[in-house]
Amino acid sequence: MKFPSIGFEPFFSWVNRTRILYAPSVRKELAFELSQLGGSNVVLFTDKGVSKAGISQKIVEQISNSELKLAGIFDNIQQDARMTNINDGAEYYRSCGADCMVVVGGGSVMDTAKAVNILIGTGLDDFKPLAEQAGLWEDAKPLPPHIAFPTTAGTGCEVTNAMVVLDVESKSKLSVTHPYCNSDIAMLDPELTLSLPPKITAFTGMDALTHAIEGVSSVGAEPIADALGLHAIRLISKYLPIAVNEPENIEARGNMLIASTMAAMCFCNTMTGATHATAHALGALHGIPHGMANAIMLPLVMEFNIEECPERYAVIADALGLQVHEDEISTAASKSVQAIRELKELIGLTETLRDYGVKNDPEHFGPLVELAASDGQISYNPRYVEENDLLRLFNQAI
Amino acid sequence: MEYWKDQHEPITAFLKLFEKAKEDPELSEGLKKVNQLIWFDYTEDGSDCSFHVDCRNGQVVAKQGKPSEEPDLIMSLSADDAHRSWSNKLNPVMAITRKKIRVKGSATGLLKLAPKLKKVALIYEQALNELNFLDKILK
Repeated sequence: MKFPSIGFEPFFSWVNRTRILYAPSVRKELAFELSQLGGSNVVLFTDKGVSKAGISQKIVEQISNSELKLAGIFDNIQQDARMTNINDGAEYYRSCGADCMVVVGGGSVMDTAKAVNILIGTGLDDFKPLAEQAGLWEDAKPLPPHIAFPTTAGTGCEVTNAMVVLDVESKSKLSVTHPYCNSDIAMLDPELTLSLPPKITAFTGMDALTHAIEGVSSVGAEPIADALGLHAIRLISKYLPIAVNEPENIEARGNMLIASTMAAMCFCNTMTGATHATAHALGALHGIPHGMANAIMLPLVMEFNIEECPERYAVIADALGLQVHEDEISTAASKSVQAIRELKELIGLTETLRDYGVKNDPEHFGPLVELAASDGQISYNPRYVEENDLLRLFNQAI
Repeated sequence: MEYWKDQHEPITAFLKLFEKAKEDPELSEGLKKVNQLIWFDYTEDGSDCSFHVDCRNGQVVAKQGKPSEEPDLIMSLSADDAHRSWSNKLNPVMAITRKKIRVKGSATGLLKLAPKLKKVALIYEQALNELNFLDKILK
């Protein structure tokens, strides 16, 4: 297989404003970097799981041993960014007189904190009307200083200029974008991910892989994002099994963190596709963790999409490290799906939707199909997805 | 304007689109679920260049001009970008990030219909055909 011709839209834009610092123990740079941004009175956003694991304490130590003042710790963040947590977080930020935020956690924590910072920057106290606007670009201004430490290698929320917010009332996930909501600096410190259990390492890693694969195969795909997405796929396919099986392997943890950030820098410019649309519905209606839902749906959606853009799945197969140089494009593309199934097996992700109580009946499938069909990400899927197609995909995932 | 001779042409085309979209059960149901009074504001291309759609109370009524009541949602853009959008050549989410579309009010309901733009584009093409606006069809 020679490198195929890969088309892209004649106009595209690519952006990422976040500065990235990487090193084991890079947290030692926190005080200097935050003071450079003008912050001095810090509120730390995290969740109870991260605190209990002693991870946020490692950041508190850096703040305590510096000129910075720790104004408070807000750790009441639940799974999925929620309106109430966001509004409470902003009230807390103001009540302790903070002028900057440090965020330590996974996607839910980072997305909650992004929304909080928008409320602080705009002087508002209720995020719901903003979330309903979906795009907050009109008159958007830079926000107060914000440094993020991701503690999972999956979401890449530290660099994306969007957040996904769960609307508990309507049981749906709203995607909201703002040009300055991502962190000013993302500090990738793999030491903070060493205690992540194998199962969570596995499905958050599959989240990152889904970002990269859907970013590269999206209708918005373009060459700069391709470079990031394809290298993320290379790193994940090599290092995810190691990170799952040898949790303390700092090289694997570090490469996974880098890969998840790169995958996010890819997909936040190109968007994703039907895997994400179905995963959002599964998360909103059945509480399935986002990375797990992506892991379940990814090979099925890839299989469905292959006929539309085999050349893109062929380069994905190549990035997955498969020997495809002698293959026809279509053969190489098909191998990418099998490789994803084998990777999931290798990292112990054998779950199906049935394991999460989803039943093969209209009562469950109807709302899932309706929600996935109206998810914004589905517009970026390379193959047009009808409601019948979604029904078939959910059926296959049972 | 790149595609239109005057400010009335786009409104004629867009009202025809909504007239035909109402006949499609999926789009009609989708619009009713939005349940909002929406003003599509293209007045940057002329003071009469706008229309509104009332999707409240289980109906879908599209009329020229600004609504007499306060709209729940205002989508402001140029008539050319609206043409690109209905032709599925302008992604609405990307357009919001580039300020080609300015949103005021809750857009979550309408954005749920964004995945249907491919279908909308087919209906729009039929509408343009019926109006003999053949030169405006984007391929």
